[in-house]
Amino acid sequence: MRAVWCVDCDWDTKNVLTGSADNSCRLWDCETGKQLALLNTNSAVRTCGFDFSGNIIMFSTDKQMGYQCYLNFFDLRDPQQIEDNQPYLSIPCNDAKITSAVWGPLGEFVNAGHENGEINQFSAKSGEILKKAKEHSRQINDIQTSVDLTMFISASKDNTAKLFDSTSLEHIKTFKTERPVNSAAISPIMDHVVMGGGQEAMEVTTTSTRIGKFEARFFHAAYEEEFGRVKGHFGPINCVAFHPDGKSYSSGGEDGYVRIHYFDPQYFDFELEA
Amino acid sequence: MKKAKQYLEGCWHAYFGFENTKVKVMLPLYFLVCLFFVCVFVFAELLLDILREKPQEADGIDSVVVVDNVPQVGPERLEKLKNVIHKIFSKFGKITTEFYPEADGMTKGYIFLEYAAPTQALEAVKNADGYKLDKQHTFRVNLFTDFDKYMTISDEWETPEKQPFKDFGNMRHWIEDPDCRDQYSVIYEAGERTAIFSNDAKEPITAEERARWTETYVRWSPKGTYLATFHQRGIALWGGEKFKQIQRFSHQGVSLIDFSPCERYVVTFSPLMDTKEDPQAIIIWDILTGQKKRGFHCESSAHWPIFKWSHDGKFFARMTQDTLSIYETPSMGLLDKKSLKISGIKDFSWSPGDNIIAFWVPEDKDIPARVTLMQLPSRQEIRVRNLFNVVDCKLHWQRNGDYLCVKVDRTPKGTQGVVTNFEIFRMREKQVPVDVVEMKDSIIAFAWEPNGSKFAVLHGESPRINASFYHVKNNGKIELIKMFDKQQANSIFWSPQGQFMVLAGLRSMNGALAFVDTSDCTMMNIAEHYMASDVEWDPTGRYVVTSVSWWSHKVDNAYWLWTFQGRLLQKNNKDRFCQLLWRPRPPTLLSTDQIKMIKKDLKKYSKIFEQKDRLSQSKASKELVDKRRAMMEEYRRYRETAQQIYQEQKSIRLELRGGVDTDELDSNVDDWEEETIEFFINEEIIPLGDL
Repeated sequence: MRAVWCVDCDWDTKNVLTGSADNSCRLWDCETGKQLALLNTNSAVRTCGFDFSGNIIMFSTDKQMGYQCYLNFFDLRDPQQIEDNQPYLSIPCNDAKITSAVWGPLGEFVNAGHENGEINQFSAKSGEILKKAKEHSRQINDIQTSVDLTMFISASKDNTAKLFDSTSLEHIKTFKTERPVNSAAISPIMDHVVMGGGQEAMEVTTTSTRIGKFEARFFHAAYEEEFGRVKGHFGPINCVAFHPDGKSYSSGGEDGYVRIHYFDPQYFDFELEA
Repeated sequence: MKKAKQYLEGCWHAYFGFENTKVKVMLPLYFLVCLFFVCVFVFAELLLDILREKPQEADGIDSVVVVDNVPQVGPERLEKLKNVIHKIFSKFGKITTEFYPEADGMTKGYIFLEYAAPTQALEAVKNADGYKLDKQHTFRVNLFTDFDKYMTISDEWETPEKQPFKDFGNMRHWIEDPDCRDQYSVIYEAGERTAIFSNDAKEPITAEERARWTETYVRWSPKGTYLATFHQRGIALWGGEKFKQIQRFSHQGVSLIDFSPCERYVVTFSPLMDTKEDPQAIIIWDILTGQKKRGFHCESSAHWPIFKWSHDGKFFARMTQDTLSIYETPSMGLLDKKSLKISGIKDFSWSPGDNIIAFWVPEDKDIPARVTLMQLPSRQEIRVRNLFNVVDCKLHWQRNGDYLCVKVDRTPKGTQGVVTNFEIFRMREKQVPVDVVEMKDSIIAFAWEPNGSKFAVLHGESPRINASFYHVKNNGKIELIKMFDKQQANSIFWSPQGQFMVLAGLRSMNGALAFVDTSDCTMMNIAEHYMASDVEWDPTGRYVVTSVSWWSHKVDNAYWLWTFQGRLLQKNNKDRFCQLLWRPRPPTLLSTDQIKMIKKDLKKYSKIFEQKDRLSQSKASKELVDKRRAMMEEYRRYRETAQQIYQEQKSIRLELRGGVDTDELDSNVDDWEEETIEFFINEEIIPLGDL
């Protein structure tokens, strides 16, 4: 009924999970488009995802209208949970709400980014916090994993993106810019990361409104140095992603456009002097 | 007492011990004697009390004032004098006594007045001291007790205690940098942090960084020796190699400061501190001793600096209604003990090269407006220029004082519009000839080449703004060298060494930059620093910094470093960057001959410098390469460990996905089905003709 905030499909694209601002999380059959389950919540569903096996789903709800932020877990192999809308595990978040979350490599835990810049690792079995990382100073806008799920990159409003180890939550690299970073992704085949960002919507008119001033920025993952930029968007970039084969990437922005770019051969040969 | 008692006893015996008649006679006598002694006692008591209340000498004297410089008059005018004195001095209180000492029939010239209370005497001193009765008589009023105080000062001179010598080290330390790096101050994090950097073409080197070093902003002294920081209670000066605190000046609520060109004095202004009796709005301090030299009133700080210094620091002057007050140092007193009455004076400024003041006065009935050049301290008018139909004037001196440009806005007779002329005064030529350049457009900006004879003008209306360059030639002509039209510029920034300059369109013009070489008036480079709010040349004229200050724009706060030719070297982003100021250099110690010699041998020196530059470049790349190598190794090691763990977990992954291997994109090639589908794309009919 309202904006869809998140979407995820399971590993063999049988099912699709969506979360929306209309206070519900829905499960769909990917091929037919039929709705398989409806889970009502008390507040908007901000982030959702299937675990590695595709059997367990998690989603987080916003802190709204007196309702807390919760991280809910449902086991799809137990239809009773879906029918009763009773998650087998529901973790409340008392302080900063969860803004983005991804599963760990084997479905044992979820790494969640919060509004205050914290990253917590919640066990999917017990709900306790296994590990914590406080590296960012402001809200985490997006978290994306590497293709093998061993690492993830967090994009934050504090003008940086950081690379972490998924299991130990060890902070590995930091990529600095002068604008808030809305989204970041890790290349599946090269030691590169891409970041997209921009300012607050209300400050947009004060920046150069010249054509294509909003850029996707490429950093070398090991050197933490920027080596390239792609112009084209008219507004802040909200989301970036690499194609699974690593030969292209796409970006979606506030201007309402989704851009898909294929890399030139030089991109794959490029090396910083070392 | 004892004797009295004995006497009484004796009397008693004498009286009662003998015949009755004697007693009858002696008893009243005895009574009288007793009474006498009693009276004596009582009287003594009373006397003591009265003695205790005897007025002290001091009480009366505290209310007495001595007035000096009173006219000496004979008896015929004495009454009149007394009336005048009374009229003036009864304002402060009730005069109880007055004394006019005389000698040889005339009053001595000083008088004593006694008030009802010491507070009234104090009022009299405060307000009547310095009162000008007439041309020859200015009253000096003092408390009588003050004389006493000064008389008791010991004749022995006690040497003041020796203060321990505060060694601040080499105050010119930064100039000795072997690579000749200039320093600059940066305020960022919205004022929370202030840092001093040494400018290197590769990247800035931090010299000092402190949190909350200043509460608002900072200022360098004119020769770069001190850094001044602002605080609620006053200002502080820092310097030397480690930026230790050299001096502190207490001036509550200080908001503006100015240094004398010689760095001997600093002037502070605070809007809070002004009271009628004690002028404290503007204070002049001696930097080395920390002493307050003099305080002044100030109505408004609209045109800071209120006090303008002569180039050598010998004089400073300020303008008030119809008056020009010139003071000299170190006495801080008015030159010739009086201000200059210049009716209608609108503006003045010192020549940066000589002790000459230029000021202008607008039209007054039949007297035309005029610009006057006055030599100091002689106060001789060396040049006066009459101007007609003047609306406004602005004075622009060339940096060495070689030329003065007066920008005159006039409304010619019979027209409505305003036309601008530049009156160029040639200061170095006999009798200071004046040449006029007429400008047809409205003027946006004007600037002299710092040590040359060119000037640049921005004129016109947006979007048709023109940049014109003029050369003031020796043969009396002022030649227009070149005009660039359709420029996006609202400010002119000359290099401090001359020849090169930047035309900038700051703030509303979105940071358009044009780098110009005025030796042949070519545009070396056109660039942009979006939303730039400031442009600052380094003192040597090699580098230019353009910056976006957080004070004027809340995003993209950074400062960019360019070469004088307009090549961008660095982009330095600083969280909430506010202000960058280059540290000025002291004047060179080389003589003109030595400079000539160096210029002659420049090739030899430049070879050495180029070699040095090459070495440092390769060193930098080597450093960078080493750094990258180390980072890559570390990253690789991490990835290897992660990969190992990944491999070890393969069995778990297979289990989670029901035996399907999804580790690689092509892991399940065997499972893939290939299907060939045919699509109808196009039909084309080709006639083959007759077979």
